[in-house]
Amino acid sequence: MKLRPLRYTLALTCILAVLLVTALVGAQQTQAPPPWKQGQPKELENSTLSPVAQPPAPKAASEIPLGKIKVPQGFKVELWASGINNARVMTWGDKGTLFVSSRVAGNVYAVVDKGGSRELKTIAKGLNLPNGVAFKDGTLYIAEIHRITKMEGIEGKLDSPPEMKVVYDTLPKDAPHGWKYLAFGPDGKLYFNIGAPCNICIPPDTHANISRINPDGSGFEYWAHGVRNSVGFDWHPVTKELYFTTHARDWLGEDVPSDRLDIAPKKGLHFGYPYCHQGDILDPEFGRGRSCGEFAAPLLKTGPHVGGNGVEFYTGSMFPAEYKNRMFLAQRGAWNRTEKTGYKVMMVTLRQGDVPKYEVFAEGWLENNQPWGRPVYTKQMKDGSLLIADDYAGAIYRVSYGR
Amino acid sequence: MLIAGLAAPSLGRAADPEAGRRKAASCVACHGPDGNSTIPTVPSLAGQVATYLHWQMLLYRDKRRADPQMAPIAAALSETDMGDLAAFFAAQRQTASPAAPADAARAEAGKRLAEAYHCNDCHGRDFRGREYAPSLRGLSRDYVVAQMRGFKARTRGDLDGAMTQAAQPVADADIEPLADYIGSIR
Repeated sequence: MKLRPLRYTLALTCILAVLLVTALVGAQQTQAPPPWKQGQPKELENSTLSPVAQPPAPKAASEIPLGKIKVPQGFKVELWASGINNARVMTWGDKGTLFVSSRVAGNVYAVVDKGGSRELKTIAKGLNLPNGVAFKDGTLYIAEIHRITKMEGIEGKLDSPPEMKVVYDTLPKDAPHGWKYLAFGPDGKLYFNIGAPCNICIPPDTHANISRINPDGSGFEYWAHGVRNSVGFDWHPVTKELYFTTHARDWLGEDVPSDRLDIAPKKGLHFGYPYCHQGDILDPEFGRGRSCGEFAAPLLKTGPHVGGNGVEFYTGSMFPAEYKNRMFLAQRGAWNRTEKTGYKVMMVTLRQGDVPKYEVFAEGWLENNQPWGRPVYTKQMKDGSLLIADDYAGAIYRVSYGR
Repeated sequence: MLIAGLAAPSLGRAADPEAGRRKAASCVACHGPDGNSTIPTVPSLAGQVATYLHWQMLLYRDKRRADPQMAPIAAALSETDMGDLAAFFAAQRQTASPAAPADAARAEAGKRLAEAYHCNDCHGRDFRGREYAPSLRGLSRDYVVAQMRGFKARTRGDLDGAMTQAAQPVADADIEPLADYIGSIR
């Protein structure tokens, strides 16, 4: 579209204004701190809290203290696979291959189950935080920070993976909260997050949302707004509504704000960021003049600094009947709290007209306030057992019931 | 239970700095005795954060950090080698004393810039680094200039994009004073 003269003048004025402001800021040398430090109050300037570093190597099977993971009576945990550096999102191929993403390790893996033993293949490496993987009709889709690509017919070519064809590559390049969760909705569209490029800020209109596209890359649209960073979502097996977790902002306190579990049954809802946190706390800086009533309230406050990642509805039949349609929330844990929270797999039971029931399913990755592992995503197996990926130890556990 | 095809039978043991010393014989040709470099374009490794060193070797191996000399070297390393080498160099004492800056006034300006750009937030109050950010002590000014320009141009790979992002607002004219200062930290 061509700019008309008036618009052109306006655009020029805007550009000049931006340049002037930039020049002034430059002259004062007031630079933003790194994202994890943003919003830190003056009195916490000397806080020793800082992000947990990702180890460069996975733990060996012999180093993983499996017995420390506690699950409810009747359930059993085994080490299903180990040695998968930074293992994150899991998705099944049509022929039974488990595709596993990573984040900072830059790899995408394929795990082939060979009756009791598993073979690991790295099918892509050197990628830009490729957290998102989704599979449909023989094709693996991979979401990096800046693009979504696909590998067609991958399951037949695990040893010589096909080229990564671009599906969509006009995404923001910001590293903070730039990695993506990627999943097919019941409508056949690809959903993913574009996180806020900061801890707390007024994000550009293009950020802090959940978006969707058609699998051919067309039809980009925003689905949900005011979402600081959601790296986990799933659709209810019956109602087909979208449920998602969000990591709340840091440095507002040890016990606030709570991370949240939300429901976005229709397009266009705003979930409050950066104005309102956990549905009832206005941001001290950006909340002035706003009201929490303007925004969608959380379905569940999942707790402060729990680092909620994976969301998955249980549809299998191995677990007891009451597990049907329950949600598993994998909480990787976070750093911005003295006594660490999260580092657990929680379960949520939805109840008509009542707050959801929220209880622990698996825990034990935190020892003396230090993590030895971090449960980050779950994936149901065909037989109804549940895989849990641990990106810190580089392992996948399998939880089964009975016998 | 173990994944076959994961060809790292010795992953089970902790990183061994003494094994690292033996494996480092070819590294020290460029990085200097015990990792104290005397070549301005080659970084010192002595006393560097082990996690950082290990990740950098992985970045070179996977071509996320480009360097014609390091690429083939990293390609030949096993993950166990990387762990051992990182543990060895992290345990060495820095002996090379940094050169006094050619331009003391410029280094002084660099000190103020380092504060303005919040370098300490990740690299630590005394620039000794943290698990996820390298120590900046003992790096030569030339090396720092090259890295900063690379980060700003988005050509110097980093693990999670944090330093690439941090380098974007740094003015070109500020890079040399910053490097003068960092290269002079004693």
